[in-house]
Amino acid sequence: MKAASHRIRFLAGVALGTAVGLSLSWVLLRATRRDLAGERDRREAIISVQALADLLQKVGFSSTRVGQAVSAWQAQTPAGTVARIVAIAGAQLVASTDPADRGARETPRRLSREEKPLYDQGQRIRAAVATNRDEGGARKAEIEIDELASGSLALAAPVESGGTLSGFLAVQIPRTAQEPGGNGGLAALLLAAAIAVFAAFAWFVGERRLPLAAGATVCLAGALLVHANAAVRTVREELRAADEAVAAYATAQGRQAGEVLASLQVPVDPPLAPASWDTDEVRRPRRLIGEDGHPNEVALAGRVARASFEATRALFGVAAVSLLLLLVSGFGGFSRAGHELVEHRQAYLYIAPAMIGLLILVFFPFFYGITLSFTDSNLYNTNRSIAETWIGLRNYGDVLGDFGFIQRTQGGGFVINYLNFYWTLLFTILWTVSNVSFGVVVGLALALILNTRDLALRPVYRVLLILPWAMPNYITSLIWKGMFHQQFGVVNQFLGIFGISPIAWFETVGTSFFTAFPTNGWLSFPFMMVVSLGALQSIPAELYEAARVDGATRWQQFKAITLPSIRPALVPAIIISVVWTFNMFNVVYLVTAGEPGGSTEILITQAYKFAFQRYRYGYAAAYSTVIFFILLVYGVIQNRVSKATEAA
Amino acid sequence: MAKRSLSGEPAHAPLHAIVIVMTLYTLYPILWVFCIAFSGRQSLAIADLPPAPGVLDRLRAVMPWPQQFSAANFVSVLTDQPFARWMLNSAIVSAATTVLGVSLACSAAYAFSRFKFPGRQPGMLLLLVSQMFPGTLTLIPLYIIVVQWLGLGSSMLGLVLVYGTTSIPFSVWMLKGYFDTIPKELEEAAMMEGASAGKIFWRIVMPLATPAIAITALFSFMTAWNEFIIAATLMDKELNYTAPVGLRFFVGGFQQQWGYFAAGSILVSVPVVLLFLYLQKYLVSGLTAGGVKG
Repeated sequence: MKAASHRIRFLAGVALGTAVGLSLSWVLLRATRRDLAGERDRREAIISVQALADLLQKVGFSSTRVGQAVSAWQAQTPAGTVARIVAIAGAQLVASTDPADRGARETPRRLSREEKPLYDQGQRIRAAVATNRDEGGARKAEIEIDELASGSLALAAPVESGGTLSGFLAVQIPRTAQEPGGNGGLAALLLAAAIAVFAAFAWFVGERRLPLAAGATVCLAGALLVHANAAVRTVREELRAADEAVAAYATAQGRQAGEVLASLQVPVDPPLAPASWDTDEVRRPRRLIGEDGHPNEVALAGRVARASFEATRALFGVAAVSLLLLLVSGFGGFSRAGHELVEHRQAYLYIAPAMIGLLILVFFPFFYGITLSFTDSNLYNTNRSIAETWIGLRNYGDVLGDFGFIQRTQGGGFVINYLNFYWTLLFTILWTVSNVSFGVVVGLALALILNTRDLALRPVYRVLLILPWAMPNYITSLIWKGMFHQQFGVVNQFLGIFGISPIAWFETVGTSFFTAFPTNGWLSFPFMMVVSLGALQSIPAELYEAARVDGATRWQQFKAITLPSIRPALVPAIIISVVWTFNMFNVVYLVTAGEPGGSTEILITQAYKFAFQRYRYGYAAAYSTVIFFILLVYGVIQNRVSKATEAA
Repeated sequence: MAKRSLSGEPAHAPLHAIVIVMTLYTLYPILWVFCIAFSGRQSLAIADLPPAPGVLDRLRAVMPWPQQFSAANFVSVLTDQPFARWMLNSAIVSAATTVLGVSLACSAAYAFSRFKFPGRQPGMLLLLVSQMFPGTLTLIPLYIIVVQWLGLGSSMLGLVLVYGTTSIPFSVWMLKGYFDTIPKELEEAAMMEGASAGKIFWRIVMPLATPAIAITALFSFMTAWNEFIIAATLMDKELNYTAPVGLRFFVGGFQQQWGYFAAGSILVSVPVVLLFLYLQKYLVSGLTAGGVKG
């Protein structure tokens, strides 16, 4: 294959890197503008709804003038708006501007059976308002807002009078803000410019790699910077435009409301405050528009600064990706990779299906989980994005930095904090070492016995002893848990034969451990036995005969022949069973369930409980990541050690 | 005896004693389950103790033999509870997992064993490392991917995909180790005669690797048949439960239906134990020549 020239490679790199970088920037910009347009629509919709709620509060909720007020309000909102007003008491539909609610369904009337969802919505809002008031916080949305498939926004908001919730509004408002156009003309122009500038530069410089790389980087960075600059300007203008539009909208709503109240001869006290209608979903004012009907310049500047900061951060990410593409392409990475791919296509073809599956369902979830570990993700913020809940390394600090697993009590004694990471780690190590030792000793001993030539009933023993491996281990665990039941379990009945009174197995750390230990021992020794048996059978009998001729004792034979011969099979089996035991979720989760008080939890079950019983997803992810690194370090060390001893 | 000692063979009687003790340890829990299952009651106790139990009464209470035999628990589990449906679900999921997992692992392991290509060593290492991923770390992302992105919540296909792929790394390691022990010359000879790569794989490698493939299939099957955390997370319709999820129902939470649990356990365990015992002749050769070797 003829190698392409450096100039061609870098030109391709500039084209590829700049194209990818500009496309990413453009997509990000469009997403931002779409969010802005959506936010503006939601703010205007909330202003409309709050204006109506304010009107109703002043007019009086049960008054006959409600209908008048609502139709006057509707004249001010975008065409196609539908409002329904429901009184909580008596599930009464007080007023409606829905054309369907005419004639036989004329308001006011009771809600009909098929309007149950509307009634439920009212109950939800009432509950949310009550919860927030009781907690003194703002945990639950008091204004429900949804985007309908038709493109309208559906809102539901409470109406209060005299401090009590009297009813709520369900309103549908069509969206009015323009979807951002953004034809990407600038991006295309910048791409062409970058390629043209670099082509001219490359013609001038010739086949010199480093100057070519530098020039290409400058061209790429220039194009991205110009685009980012334009993008920030666009976002700034649109932020201001949105605030101005919302402010004007609120002012107009306020004027209209004032006119309605005047025509109905309702006293306006306190005066209407249109700016306060611009609230978030828990009805806290956003304070983005001032009382004077103009944008709040301080808040706007803050929002612009934040948008610029986010744009800069995005630019760094995009630039890193583009530059990587550029340099890989420029220094021939892609052509080499393509070459390898073609040459070894058969191997890659065989591996591809498995690798694609693994990437999607094993490796991606793993990296997603690691990302979660840097966030404060929990039950209450699952709908927030990762960037919003990002807290850096705090979870790791909380897991690893808390050494206080022994705490002093007031009486001067000591208690162990069983939820502490280091206690659980200690327990897990104890658990792993004891279980693996038991498995190896018992498995090896049984294998040696079963390997005895002409031992009667050998095949029968073998089949029976292998049974625990075949049993599903969650069933095994539940069986043993049943057998350790304090009142009815057979273990206590058995102890009763010797006059020992029933033991409450799950009430102290030691006894609780001794329920899980025989369970895991029961199901893990057959593996070691089978592996050892296989290795033992492959030792030539002549070796032992020779040793016997030399007068070696059985212990000497075991040490000099048996152990070295089965080592190659035994060591990997021990490594794998350490990993299995370390993560033996089922046994601990089902048998001891961590009793008493989480003291017999191993790391993996503790992580599970943090995630699914305490709903601290981010913390649990950090906890799990720590488990992974412990195992990884163990694997690396074990590998080193076994290689070193093999070489010796 | 004297002669045996001279030849270095140990006396058999103590060996029998040790093995019999271990066999009792092994068998007792299994007999206990049978006993509870056939008792026809929901109680944990094998026998009721009189108010002032004597040694004989207590001895009776630990003998794994039910007071009276009844198949009522089995009948109820299969008729009153949707257990037959859950078993069927498990069978479908496990069979599909085995086919998917083993075929993907076979083709990948063959490439890892026979071809030299960039990324081979890192690839094998990556597979090994993936065995250390804690399940608690990947469970939430898996839920998001399978249920929210792929829309496969409460579907057997979702479970099959998850089980099939998670079983791959272990299977590849085992199969690759075994393929390595098959002499390459056989394939080279076939290639000289003009056989295609597919034909070589099916006609030469597969038959020789039967022990390893059988063990891989067995382990894939057991993974899918015995797993309950992922299944409980992904399946939220009761009718789509797999048997392990359903079985947990009987003794989890507020219910303590030990009779149903025991009967269900036997129904769930019998197929997999039979399969295991049938394939156990391959265990030694499949395991020792394969994955467990470095």
